[in-house]
Formats: sequence, structure tokens, C-alpha cells
Amino acid sequence: MLDLNEMILPKDNLTPLLRKLAKDARLIAPIKNSYGDTLFTVIDDIDKAAIDLENQPQASLKPYLLPQQETLATYRNTEGGYIFAEADEEPESIYFGVRSCDLTAVLYTDLVFSRPVKDSSYFKRRNKSLLITIGCNHPFSNCFCEASNSGPYLEYGYDLQFIDLGDAYFVSAGRRKGLDLLEKWLYFFRAVTDSDREKRYQLQLEVRGKFTQNIQVSQVCQLLQDHEVDDSIWRKLSGRCYDCGGCAYVCPTCTCFSVDDAAIDENHGLRLRSWDACTSSGFTRMTGGHNPVDRRTDALKRRFLHKLKYDYAEHGKPSCTGCGRCVDICFGGVDITTFISLAAKGETV
Amino acid sequence: MTNSIGELQGADVLLVTGSNTTETHPQIARNILEGVDRGAKLIVIDPRKTELARQAHVHLALRPGTDIALVNGIMRSIIDENLADDLFISMRTEQYEKLRDYLFRLNLDEIAAITGIGLSTIRKAAKIYARSSNAVICYCLGVTQHTCGTDNVQAVANLAMLTGNIEKAYGGVDPLRGQNNVQGACDMAALPAVLPGYQGLDNIDARRRFQQVWNCDIPQTPGLSLTEMTHSGAEGDIRAMYIMGENPVLSDPHLKRVETTLKQLDFLAVSDIFLTETAALAHVVFPAASFAEKGGTITNSERRVQLCRKAIPPIGKCRADGHIIMELGRRLNCPGMDFTSNAEIMEEISLLTPIYGGMHYDRLEENWGLQWPCWNRDHPGTKFLHKHNFTRGKGQFTITRHREPAETVETKYPFTLVTGRGSYHHYHTATMTRNSRRLVREYPEALLEINEKDSRALQLQPGEPVEVHSRRGSVRVKTVVTDRVQPGTVFTSFHFWEVPINQLTVDAMDSRSKCPEFKVCSVNIKKVSHA
Repeated sequence: MLDLNEMILPKDNLTPLLRKLAKDARLIAPIKNSYGDTLFTVIDDIDKAAIDLENQPQASLKPYLLPQQETLATYRNTEGGYIFAEADEEPESIYFGVRSCDLTAVLYTDLVFSRPVKDSSYFKRRNKSLLITIGCNHPFSNCFCEASNSGPYLEYGYDLQFIDLGDAYFVSAGRRKGLDLLEKWLYFFRAVTDSDREKRYQLQLEVRGKFTQNIQVSQVCQLLQDHEVDDSIWRKLSGRCYDCGGCAYVCPTCTCFSVDDAAIDENHGLRLRSWDACTSSGFTRMTGGHNPVDRRTDALKRRFLHKLKYDYAEHGKPSCTGCGRCVDICFGGVDITTFISLAAKGETV
Repeated sequence: MTNSIGELQGADVLLVTGSNTTETHPQIARNILEGVDRGAKLIVIDPRKTELARQAHVHLALRPGTDIALVNGIMRSIIDENLADDLFISMRTEQYEKLRDYLFRLNLDEIAAITGIGLSTIRKAAKIYARSSNAVICYCLGVTQHTCGTDNVQAVANLAMLTGNIEKAYGGVDPLRGQNNVQGACDMAALPAVLPGYQGLDNIDARRRFQQVWNCDIPQTPGLSLTEMTHSGAEGDIRAMYIMGENPVLSDPHLKRVETTLKQLDFLAVSDIFLTETAALAHVVFPAASFAEKGGTITNSERRVQLCRKAIPPIGKCRADGHIIMELGRRLNCPGMDFTSNAEIMEEISLLTPIYGGMHYDRLEENWGLQWPCWNRDHPGTKFLHKHNFTRGKGQFTITRHREPAETVETKYPFTLVTGRGSYHHYHTATMTRNSRRLVREYPEALLEINEKDSRALQLQPGEPVEVHSRRGSVRVKTVVTDRVQPGTVFTSFHFWEVPINQLTVDAMDSRSKCPEFKVCSVNIKKVSHA
């Protein structure tokens, strides 16, 4: 019997398949723009889109699932008081070319927005998304997903996972939605052979040796469970943090936000949610001016400990997925890899 | 900068003077700190205990306005320790003996008294700096914004030449430029006394070339500096002004005089991206395009000319500065105002400006920019200046003598007010940054830094507002108690129109550079009476 969970898609069939998918849903994939930047972009015309699976998309899926600024609700002021209306519905979306780190981040974000109650604004987008990942045969220079246990290939969580075998993709279905898609478009695929499997395992073995970042993520997560990091490390890192929020904005698992009301006119307005960052002093400052976080010493403490200590304690896994984006974005050179390296040197007490 | 920014990481000693680098030049600070991580020694000269000063191996917290005395003291200590670079001095410099004889006549105890820094600390800094053969000096407006600003820079140059720390990678004198393209503006002669590329008005050949290309007469005498213009007053000769992207109504010293000048003009035109306090006084306002809405080049502190691409078309009716200038020029029948592209403008720059000789657009497109001097198409650009010789031939030592600032403290005005940028959240008069809600949240209002000792003497509560008075005006401002300032010194920024601190600053300026003394004025501080 044919095992529909694993199929082979010849590369020549990729564009025809995507063309079909784009008819039923909004198709979003990494596209290289005219400035040479690769970003997840909505595809209008599959024949004109330069899908780029060679480079890491500069942003994760976060701008789609948790937009930089979104309208939670609109309000109008009537004589009977304020009336709130939920924002518009979202279209069904298929995301193609998602990296393993970013998929892992989506799974984490699902948890964040599930508790204590489901965040309707997040899940109205999430529930209408189908995620097709691409395994990384060639990790990028700042990546360390293997160390953070979130790549380069995935065991679960994806709807479909593509692995590039050279002339074809090894496609696995991980969830019902993915399996349905395979079934629907079966004629684009062929069955998996032993040699395909062999190729896949070989790739999986080889990729492990290709990471250039040597980062002791799990060791540091362990260490943090019962050791305090020396104050001098926090002091040094905080002194070089410029509070730009870049790390939080590019981070696929950073979910800090703030909510503001913006008036359109006297009687109408929007309730907006926008990205925020725990590294900003205004994020924790109280109305009276007191700030429980001293920026000069503790600016980055919350950020790093949340990802590596508290989430590890709760989920057995850090919420840093090793995508490496914060490494390039950090203005002061104090990204999470700097912290992990310092902490791993044993500068803890 | 004589060096490149990346070279700071490779220096063995970094002497930073008059620069709050972490807040005003974060990327340069990163290079400095990464140099320190690699083992470099950091010396900071600053009256304030800035973030960089906290991380320094030696912090020389001098009394404001005593830079020359301090540098002279360092040089004297170097000579006393026999650490001067005699070979460099004899091969590359002149008039050293005069300086040496002057330094020998100095009384080091007097210098300690003038600067407020102990002799042993001065000697320690001198030894660290002079023993290194790869030492750089970074300086910023804390050095130049004094009535003795030019001499301050000369003193710094003397120090570098005395130890041979110039003319090489990882060694030099590096002024950190204040705005992203102020270097480019100076290179293009947005200065009263030179033609583009620092070609003097007395250079007959250069003048002739410019006259030929621009089809006009070029004055042989220098024009006026900024403060001379904005302070020309009601009786001044200036009848009309065109101000671009500048907000002198908040940023220039002694604001009352600036306002008087601008209000009596027959005609004032301002172009800016937002309606600034200065634009509000204008007869005509041109809405200008932001950086993202225009192309061109930007020249940074390390003399690197970088291409800047237009990301979005100008929004609404705003136009790029170049477009506004050309349209004005055409209406004024100015010839040659018909450039069709930025590349065409760059072609003229390359033709007329020798140091930009090889900076063609097609070359800039291929890389992260080229550093001047770049003489021709085949020239790779210049990483550090003065290799083998100085611009004038030999480096000239010039004696610099300490003199007190224009205003010194007295009974009526017992505090020294230092002004500068307060935070990296705001830029200058905050015409742009205060339009960002997030930046406003992070740094919402002006704060006067005051030492705990003074705060206690004035019986101030935390955050209590005070009135700050000088001979020229007064402002009300919230205080913050901090050890960043020494007792007797207070500091605040010029970011906020609600606290126009330049109503207080002096109009005295350096006689040569015409740079105002923003860094020192005498003030009194009074509790706000609760009526």
C-alpha cells in the first residue's frame, strides 16, 4: 500500500503544484526583491516570482502571524456607550519555504497565545495557515538550530516538510492538513524509493558537520537552572545594549506587545496591538516613574533568561530556535550567542 | 578621522576625549569596546562619568574647559618619562623645541589644580598612551565647542605627534563627526571659507575652474559662519535666509539673539521634513523628502562615501533637497541647474574635487563605498591619512596655553552648565525623533543631571523641577540625581523645545572656527517655589 505520509515531488513539478495551491489560498514564499533581500512575500504571479530557497529569509513568519501592528478591534462611540467590533477575517494562507527554526517558533508562539485563554486575533490567522517547511541542507553562517534542538530537519509540527534531494523533494506530511494536500494533488508526486531514503539520511548526517557556530545552548540552559549568572556579565551586556529592540523584532519567538487606542475621529477609533520589547525601559516603567528593571545592569536579563532558563524549565526546550537573525541585527554586539558563550565559559556563580 | 573606524578595534590604546561615544556614536563605541575586549587600554577624558568612562582603565574627570592644561600636563609627563618619539619628531615634524621648552616651564602642580585631576592620574594616562605604538585619539564636540576649541584640537595633535601616533593604521587622531553626512557637507564646502574638497579661496587655479564650470564669479573672501549669521541681530546686513534641515531656533546658543535675527529678516525660507520651530517663523516652507525618499551619497566619519538608494517615492508634495535647490536655482536664472540624475551631479563633483576624483557612481554601486582621498578611477581609496607626510609637509607643533572659558563660576552663578546630547533616543532638537511614539516613551522629557551633593544642598526631592538661570535667560527642568556629573556641574540636552536650554548658553565662540562654547556657561539653580 502506498504510504501517503512520505512522497517524492520531482523539482519540475514544483511550480505547477504551487500554481494549483495559489488558486485555493494566499501563497506566501521567500522572494528575492530588487534590492537583493529575501523576504516572505505574497505571490501574485507564480511565473514572475523569484522564489529563493538558497538564502535565509530576513524575517521569520512573525510579521504574518503576529503583525508588527494589527487592529484588534474598531470602536465607535454611541449614545449608548462604546461599541467594539472585531477586525476583519483573514484569508486562508499557505506558507512555502518555511525554515525549521521558524516553524519551531510558530509552535512556541501557539503555546504563548493559547494560555490562559486563546488569543482570537492570533488564532484567526494561525488556524487559516498551512506551513510547508524546507529542511536546511546548508546552515547559514549565524545558525545554530541543531544546538537549540529546532532543526535543521524536523520530526513533527509541520504540515508538510520538503527536503531537497537534488532533482526532487522528499516530502513528509506531519499533520492532517498536509496529508489532505498530498492526497488532493497526488498526481504531482511519486512514491518514495529506498534510494531516496538513503539520500535523505546521508544529507541528514552531513548537515551536522556544516554548522559554523559552535554554541553550547543546552549546556547553558542546564547551567542556568541552578546557577546565577555573574552580575559582571549582565553589566557588560547591558552597557552595550542600545535598546533598539532589533533583536526582539527579528526574533521569531519574541511576543512582547503593547496595546494602544488610536482615534480616527471624535467617535471612531482603532484598538491597535504592536510589537514591543522587554529590553525597552518604557516597557516596564511604572506610571510614577519607578522601573523594576535597571537598564544599566539588567536590560537583557529578562530576554535571555526567559528564553534559556524559564522556558527550558517549563518545556524542556529553550525558546531560542537558533535562527541567528539577532546576531546580525544587534547594534552593540550583545546578541544571545554572546551571552551563551560568556555563560558557557563558566562565568556564573 | 585619520583612521578608519574598523582600525579602532586593532589599536592598543584608545584615548577618547570629549565624546560620549556610547550614546552619540554607538557603532564607533562598539569598535572601541571590542578593542578593549581584545586587551586595549581605554583612557577617557570627560567631566562626566559617561558609560564609556565607567568602562575606562583611566578616567580623567577634568573641570570643564581645562582640556589644554590637561593635555599639556600629559605631554610634560611623557617628556619627563623620556617617552617622546624622537625619531618621528625629527623626521616628520617641526618647531618641537619651542613646545618642549614651554612644557618644561609648566608647573605640574598648577595643572593638577586647574584641571582638578591628581598628578599621579595624569602621569598614569601619559605612560599608557605614550608607551603604545598603536594609540588612537577620538575626540568630539566636548573638545571643539569651546572658545579655545581650535587650540584644544591643536593640543591633541601635538600629543599625537609627540608620540608618533599618527600616519598609520591603528594610530591617529579621529574626530567623530556629529551627523551622518556632516563630513560630506564639509567636503562639499558647506563652509564659509573653502571650495569643495577644502580647496582654498586663495587657490587661483581652483577658483578659475569653478568659475568656468559654474559660470559665475566666486568671492575671494570667506563668507560668514553659522553663528555669525544667526546672531547678526536686528542691525545685521543679512536680509534673507534659506535654512535647510536645521533648527537654529533651538540649536544655536543664546536663543534670544537667534530669534531677534530671524524675525527681522525680510525673507526666510526653510526646508525640512517636519514643521520645526524654525520653519514656523518662515515666510516660505519647502516640505523636504526624508532619507528613504531620495538617493545620493552620504560621507561618514571615516571619509567613506556611500551610495544611498531611494527606497520609496516622496510622499505627498515633499521633494528631495536637490530637487528644491535646482528648482530655486532655475527660477533665479542660475546656470547649470539641470542635472537629470544624482550620478550626473557626482560626475561634476569628481571633476572639480580632487579628493573625490575617482568617486563615480558605478564604482560606488559595487561596494560599501570609497574613502577619500580617491584621486582617480583606479585609486582604491585611502584607509588612513598622512602616510609618509602631512598635508602641509611636516607636522607643526604649536604651543597651546590654558585659558579660562568665557564664563567662569561666581557667587551669583555658582554652577557650570554643560550641554550636549542626552540620550541615543533623541537626535538634536528631536524634530524627527519626537515624532516616534516609541522613542518618546523611552525618553519622554528633558532631565537636568545634578550631583547628589548639590541636590542635597538644594534640598531637592527626586525628580523635582528647578529653575536654571544664566545671565541670558532661564528654563524650568526636571532634575535627576546622578554621579554622572561632578559636584558644581550640571548637564542637560537640547532635545526638547519645552526646555530650550540654549536660551542660557553663551554666545562666545572660538575666534578661528567660530564654534560656540556650548560646553561651559555659568548658571544658578533655584527651587521652584510652590505658590
